Amino acid sequence: MQNNRLSRLAARVTTLCAIGCLVAFSLPAVGESKKSFNVCWTIYAGWVPWGYVDSSGIIDKWARKYGIDIRITQINDVGEALNQYAAGKFDACSMTNMDALIVPVVGGVDTTALVVGSYSDGGDGVVIKGKGKTLKDLKGMSVYLPELTVSHYLLARGLETAGLRERDVKVVNTSDADLVAAYDTGNVLAAVAWNPQLMTLKARPDTMEIFNSHQIPGEIIDIMVANTRVLKDNPALGKALTGAWYEVMAMIKAGNAEALEAMAKSSGTDLASYRAQLKNTHLFHTPQENLVFVTSPDLIKTMRRVAQFSFEKGLLGEGAKNAEAIGMSFPGGVTLGDKKRILFRFDDAFIRMAIKGGL
Amino acid sequence: MSFIEIDNVWQEYGAHVVLERLDLVVDEGEFCTLVGASGCGKSTFLRLLLGQEAPSRGTIRMEGKALVAEPDPDRGVVFQRYSVFPHLNVRDNVVLGLELPQSRFWGRLFGRKKRAARQEATALLEKVGLSQALGKYPYQLSGGMQQRLAIAQAFIMKPRVLLLDEPFGALDPGVRKDMHALILELWRETGLTVFMVTHDLAEGFNLGTRLLVFDRTRQDPQAPEAYGARVTYDIPLNADRHASRKHLAALSSRILGRTSPTFPEGANA
Amino acid sequence: MRFINRHPGRGNQLLLALLPFILLLAAYFSGSAARLQDNSDDKLLPSAAQMAAAIDRAAFREDRRSGEYILWNDTAASLARLGMGLGIAACAGLALGIISGAFPLLRAGLSPFLAVASMIPPLAILPILFIVFGLDELSKVMLIVIGITPILARDLEQKAREIPRELFVKAQTLGANSWTLVLRMMLPQLCCRLFISLRLMLGPAWLFLISAEAISATAGLGYRIFLVRRYLAMDTILPYVAWITLLAWLMDYLLRQINRRCFPWSEGAET
Repeated sequence: MQNNRLSRLAARVTTLCAIGCLVAFSLPAVGESKKSFNVCWTIYAGWVPWGYVDSSGIIDKWARKYGIDIRITQINDVGEALNQYAAGKFDACSMTNMDALIVPVVGGVDTTALVVGSYSDGGDGVVIKGKGKTLKDLKGMSVYLPELTVSHYLLARGLETAGLRERDVKVVNTSDADLVAAYDTGNVLAAVAWNPQLMTLKARPDTMEIFNSHQIPGEIIDIMVANTRVLKDNPALGKALTGAWYEVMAMIKAGNAEALEAMAKSSGTDLASYRAQLKNTHLFHTPQENLVFVTSPDLIKTMRRVAQFSFEKGLLGEGAKNAEAIGMSFPGGVTLGDKKRILFRFDDAFIRMAIKGGL
Repeated sequence: MSFIEIDNVWQEYGAHVVLERLDLVVDEGEFCTLVGASGCGKSTFLRLLLGQEAPSRGTIRMEGKALVAEPDPDRGVVFQRYSVFPHLNVRDNVVLGLELPQSRFWGRLFGRKKRAARQEATALLEKVGLSQALGKYPYQLSGGMQQRLAIAQAFIMKPRVLLLDEPFGALDPGVRKDMHALILELWRETGLTVFMVTHDLAEGFNLGTRLLVFDRTRQDPQAPEAYGARVTYDIPLNADRHASRKHLAALSSRILGRTSPTFPEGANA
Repeated sequence: MRFINRHPGRGNQLLLALLPFILLLAAYFSGSAARLQDNSDDKLLPSAAQMAAAIDRAAFREDRRSGEYILWNDTAASLARLGMGLGIAACAGLALGIISGAFPLLRAGLSPFLAVASMIPPLAILPILFIVFGLDELSKVMLIVIGITPILARDLEQKAREIPRELFVKAQTLGANSWTLVLRMMLPQLCCRLFISLRLMLGPAWLFLISAEAISATAGLGYRIFLVRRYLAMDTILPYVAWITLLAWLMDYLLRQINRRCFPWSEGAET
C-alpha cells in the first residue's frame, strides 16, 4: 500500500516534470518569421466553418499561395483550447470576445481579433421551467450555468434589464457538458446554456426561454484570434486565414449544399439542426458586413461592458484596480483602457484587404 | 447404553471414499487417541464428531440421540493452529465462552455478571499457567502458551466431549511434555470424553486409554480413492489409569454429585 | 558487490528521498522563470511569489465578492462531502462485506453482484446519478459512496473468508449464534481491515469528490480548481493541489493512527 502511494506520487512527479520541461522548452520563438503555423477551433455553430476550411482543403490552397503551412486542429474542450493558445501552443484559436479577454489577454498574450466571424443572435439563452415566467421570476432561485463564461455574462445582462442584480440569484457552477443531464433533474429549475445544448433544453416540455442573446445583439462575439506578435512577423498567416474564411462564407451565403452538409456533420448533427443553429448565429457573409461591425462604436461599448463584468468577477487579474486595467485598440486608432498596456486589438487591415480583393 | 455409538458411518466426497463401515462404541470418560497415516480420515472423523460435517451414510449417536450436525458447546475443540481469537486478549478469549451462551443478543456481559465471568476465567487461566499473561494478545504468546489458552477456552465451557486435532504437533518436545501433563490433569478432574488425533505414536500410547488406528483395509492401485479407511486396531491402554479415574469419578459422584465433576487436588492415578 | 545488495546509508537515504522533489521543483521554477521573463503576465507557470499571493488571497483575506475566506470555505465543503461519503461507504461496505463473507446463503446472491458492481466506472453513470439523486450535496456524496462501497465490500468479503474456518467452529463451540458470531468475532476483525481498505480508497474518493464538484457546485476544492482553470489561474490551482495532497496525506496518517490505537492486536496477528 505504501508502494502504491509512492508509485502514484512518482507518476505525478514524472508528469509534472515532463510538463515543466515541455513548457520550458517550447516557448514560442521571438520575433521570427516562420513557415508553419498551428490553429485550433472548438465546436460551436459559428466556428464549425473552420472545420470545413480545413477538411475541404481550402486552407491548404491559401497557405500555398503565401508559401506557408497551416495546421488546423479541433479541440474538444473550450477551456483547454483557451489554455493551449494562452500557453503558446497555437498561433491562432477560435474563442469569444470575453474568453479572449480573460484568458490570453489577461495572461499577457498580446492578441488580435483576426476574423470576427459572427455574433450570437439567440444562440445563448436563459431557460426556466414553468409557464408565463419572466426574468423577474429568477429572484431567489438557483441558476445552473458554467460560471465565468458568456452564459454568466448573458445572465448578468439579463438580470440588469429586469432591474435585478446577480446577488438576487444563486449561481451554481455546472459544466457545459453536463448541463442537459443536470437540467433533467428535479432540483434544477433555471439554467443558462449555449447551442447546441440550448436547443435541447428549449425542446424540453414545460420549459421556456426568458432571455437570449438576440436581446443583446453583437455582445457575444465569435472570433478567430491570433497572437499579435506572430501575426506582425508573419502577415501571411492573417492573409491566408482571412482569405480562406471569406471563401467559405461565400459558399454558405450561396447555400452550397455540400459545404453545409459537411459542416452539419462535423458539428455532430444533421443539416436541419445545423441550419437552426445558424439561425441563432449572425454570420458576417461578406467582408463589407464585417467592416461595418468592427468599425462601429457599438463594439467599443460592448467591450467596455465585458471588461466591467470581468473586472467585477475578479477576472482582470488581482493587480487590476478597475475595468480600465487592460488596454484595447479598435480600428481608426481608438483605444479603451490603459493605453500603455494594449493587449487586445480589433484590426480592420485584413478585412480591407479582402474587400479590395488584395488577398 | 453407551455414551457415543457410531453405526456404519461412511464419509465420501464424490467418488472419494474417506471413511467406510465405521462402527465404534465409546464410553463416557474415555481418552481415545487416533493415529494413522496422513490422509486416512482421522481428522475427517473428528469433524464428524464435532458436527462440522455430516456423515454420508450411517449415524452417530450421543446418549442415544443423533448428533447435532453443527458445532455446539457440548463439544469443545482445540486445533493445531487458529484456535484462539487474535483480537481478544488472553482473559477475554476465555471470558467469551461465558458471555456468548448467557447473552444471546449482545454476546457480552456487563456489570456484576461480567466481573463474575472474569473471576472464573482468571481462576482457570491460573490453573493452566497463564496468570502472568492475562492482558496479552495471542500474537504475543509462544506456541505452547497459545495452546494452553486454547485448552482453557475449551474447558471453560465444561463440554461433554473434547476433540483435539493434533494440538501439540507444532510444539517443541519439552513444551509438549508439559502440555501432556496439563491435559491429563484436566481430563482426570473433569471426566470428559476425549478424542485426540496425533501423528506421534508415542504420544498416542502415552496419553490414551484407548488407541484407535485408522487404515485402509482394501486397496485398489488403479483407484486409490475408491476405498476408505476403517479402524484396524482398537487397543485398550493404561487400564489402571482408566480404572482409577472411573473409581474416583464414582466416588466424587457419590460424595459431590454429578453437577461438579471436579477432582480433588493431587489425587493423581 | 551486486547492485541488489547495495543499500544507502542513513544520510544518503534522506538525500535520495529528497532528490525527486528537488528535481521537480528545479524543473518547475526554471520553466517558470523562463516563461515569466518572456511574458511577465504569463499564467501557466506562476512564480513562488505569485502563488504565495494567491494563497494569501484565498486563505487569509475575505473574498471581494462573497466576503468569505474561500480556501477554508472550499475545504470545509469538500471535507464534509468526503467525510460523509467515506462514512456511509464504510458502514455499507462493512455490512455488505460481513453479510457476504459470513453467510454462504447470502453470499450466493450478493457476491457476484458486488463483483460486477465494483467494475462499473461511476463517472460513466453520472447522468443517471443526477436523475436519481438530484444535483445537490446528495449526488456528490453518492458518487463517492457508489464509487468505493462495492470495492470496500469485496475487500472485506475476501478478508472475512480469510478468517480461518477453525475460528468459526471455535466460536460455535463457545456458544455463539450467527448474530453474536458476527458481533464478537467478525466485526472487530473486519473493522481493523476496514481502516486499511479505507486508506487505500482515499485516492479514488478524492478523485470522485473533485469530479463531482467539477460538474456542479457552489463551493469546494474541486469546484475552485475547475472554475479558475477557465482562466488559467495556475497560481491558485497549484497551491490547491498541494493542499489537497497534504489533506489526503493527513487523512491517511489519521486512519493509520486510529488503526494502531484501536486494534493493537493487529500488528503481529496472522489473520
